[in-house]
Amino acid sequence: MIKLKNVNKTYPGAVPLHVLKDINLHIDRGELVSIMGASGSGKSTLLNILGILDTYDTGEYWLDGVLIRNLGENRAAELRNRMIGFVFQSFNLISYKDALDNVALPLFYQGVSRRKRRMLAMEQLERLGLADRAHHLPAELSGGQKQRVAIARSLITRPSIILADEPTGALDSHTSKEVMQIFRQLNAEQGMTIVIVTHDPGVGEQTNRVIRIVDGQIEKQGE
Amino acid sequence: MKITFFDIENWREIGATLSRNKTRTMLTAFGIFWGTAMLAMLLGGEKGLERKLRSNFDGFATNFAMVDPGRRSMSYQGFNKGSSWIMTTHDAENLRRGIPEISAVAECEEINDVNVTNGLKSTTAYIRGISPEYFDVFLPDLYYGRFINETDEAASHKVCVLGKQISEKIYGTESPVGKYVSLGGIYYRVVGMAGQTSEVQIRGSKVDEQVLLPMSTMRRSFNLGDNIGGLMILFRDKVSPTSLQSRVERILRTRHPIHPDDHNAVFFFDISEQFAMVDHLFDGVTLLALFVGVSSLVAGIIGVGNIMWVIVKERTNEIGIRRAIGAKPADIVTQILSEGVALTFVSGVAGISFATAVLAVASRTVGPGFDLTFANAMAIVVTFLILGTAAGFVPAIKAMKIKPIEAINDR
Repeated sequence: MIKLKNVNKTYPGAVPLHVLKDINLHIDRGELVSIMGASGSGKSTLLNILGILDTYDTGEYWLDGVLIRNLGENRAAELRNRMIGFVFQSFNLISYKDALDNVALPLFYQGVSRRKRRMLAMEQLERLGLADRAHHLPAELSGGQKQRVAIARSLITRPSIILADEPTGALDSHTSKEVMQIFRQLNAEQGMTIVIVTHDPGVGEQTNRVIRIVDGQIEKQGE
Repeated sequence: MKITFFDIENWREIGATLSRNKTRTMLTAFGIFWGTAMLAMLLGGEKGLERKLRSNFDGFATNFAMVDPGRRSMSYQGFNKGSSWIMTTHDAENLRRGIPEISAVAECEEINDVNVTNGLKSTTAYIRGISPEYFDVFLPDLYYGRFINETDEAASHKVCVLGKQISEKIYGTESPVGKYVSLGGIYYRVVGMAGQTSEVQIRGSKVDEQVLLPMSTMRRSFNLGDNIGGLMILFRDKVSPTSLQSRVERILRTRHPIHPDDHNAVFFFDISEQFAMVDHLFDGVTLLALFVGVSSLVAGIIGVGNIMWVIVKERTNEIGIRRAIGAKPADIVTQILSEGVALTFVSGVAGISFATAVLAVASRTVGPGFDLTFANAMAIVVTFLILGTAAGFVPAIKAMKIKPIEAINDR
C-alpha cells in the first residue's frame, strides 16, 4: 500500500536541515501501524510526505500503486481527497458547520450532490454511534465525540489509508482508549490501512507494528 | 472541473461566514450600499436638476444676441456724452444684408401700460411690436389661433396675439380668436393667444402679460415712423455672436453718429454665452457628481477588499483543513470571490433601489427628470460587481497560496 524508496528531505536554509535520510518503508494493505519518534525526529515530516501535504527531494513514494512525485496542486488535492483520510490531534473540524456537514465536506469537493453526501455522512455517523449528535456544532461536542466526527470525515471518501497525527494527543486516557478501539475495529472489521503517528508508547502498543524513527532514520521497521 | 460556485453548499457557506460577524458585514455592506446609492442619486439628480434649469429656456433659440441702442459714453459729431439714439428698420435691413453669418433679424418695440379693452372689461398690457423673425428666436406656447406672419407684417394687418394672462382677464376662459379688442382706442382682430412656461423674460416681460402686434402695424398705430426699440439677431449655427459684435456695431455706426471707440452706445447681449455658462455649470456638476460618486464607490470597494483580507486571515486554519481534505486552489478562490461578489451584489442592488426610491420622491416633489435609466443602474451594478470581484481577488490569491501544513499547524 505504502512504499518509500530512499526518500530524502532537506529543509533549505542558512544551515540546511536534513530531516529524512534515505527512508525505506513498506506498509501493506490492511496494516495498523504506528510511527513513533521524539519531537524533531522527522516523524511529522514523514507524515506530511505520506499525506501528500509536503514534497520530498529524492527517492520514490508509491501510494496504492500511484507514484506520488512532482504533483501539481490540483492533482495533489484530488489524491488527498480520494486516497487519504486525515485525523488530526486538534480535530480540525470547521467550527460553524454541524457534525453532519463536517463529515460530508470531502464529498462536496468531489462534486457529490448535497442529498447524497448528507445521506452518506449520516451512515458514517451512525456507524460511529454519533447519529444523535449529527446536528450539533463542534463546540457542543466532547473531545472524544469531536475526534469520532473527524474519523467519520476521514472515512467518508473510502480512502486507501487513514493517516492519524497524534489522534489521542488532546484526549484524556479514557477517551484515548475509545478512539484507539475505533481504529482497531476499523482495521479488524473493514481491513482499513491505518498509520498513526504518535510519541505515546501506550498508543503504539495497541498497533500491530511500531516503526521507530530517530534523527530522520528508521531505526526499526517492526515485524 | 466541477463547478462549486453553483453548489448550494457554497451559498450556505457564504451566508454562514458573512453572518458570523454581523456588525462587520453590515458596515461593509453599508459602505457599498452608500457608494451605489450616492453614485445613482448623483447621476439621476444631476439630470433632473439640469432638466429643471433648462426648462427655463424652453422655446428659446440658443445662438442669438439682443442689440439695443444705449447711451453714448463719448461725445461725437456734436452729440454729447450721455445722449441717446434711436434704431430704425433700416438698421435691421443693413444688418440682414451686411453680415451673411446672420440668419434672422427680429425687430422689436414695446409700449407699456396700454389699455386693453373688451366691452366693459379692461386691463393694461405691454404692447409689443415684432417682425415675424421674432418667432425664429423665441417660440412661445400657442393656446389658440396662430402667431403673426409675413403677410400681417407686409400688409400691416390690424391683428394681434393676446398673452394668456391678458386674455383671461378680459375674455375669461373662452377663446379670444376672431374677437376685436381695443388697444389704446384702436381695434384689432385677435388671431391667437399665447404664453410661456419658461422663466426667461425678454425685454422685461413675459408673453403672458403682452399683446403682440406686427411691427409695421405698431409703427403706424403709434406713429413711430421707421423707429424701432431694438433687435434680436439670430446667428447661424456655430457662429459666436460675440465674435461678430464689432461688425454689428460698425454697420450701426454707418447710419448713426457714434464714436468708433464707444462700445457703450450699443447694448449687445450675447445669449449664447448664458447658455454656454449653463452648459459649463452642468459639465462641472456632472464632473463633481462623478467624482463624489466614484470616490464613495472606491471607498466601498476598498472596504470589500479589506473585509475579504480579514476573513482570509481569520480563516487560514479552516482553509488549510479544506485543502488537506481535497479542496483545490480554484475551489478556495471560488469560495472567497463568491463571498465578495455576494456581498457586493446584495448591497449594490439595495443601494440602487434606495436611490431609485429617493429619485422617485424627488420627481414627485421637485419636478420630472429625476430618474435613473435602467442602463445606468445596470452599469453601476456591473461596475460594482467587477470592482468587487477585483477587490476580492488579492485576498483570494492569498487564500489560494495557503499551504495545508502551515495552516493546520497554525493553531
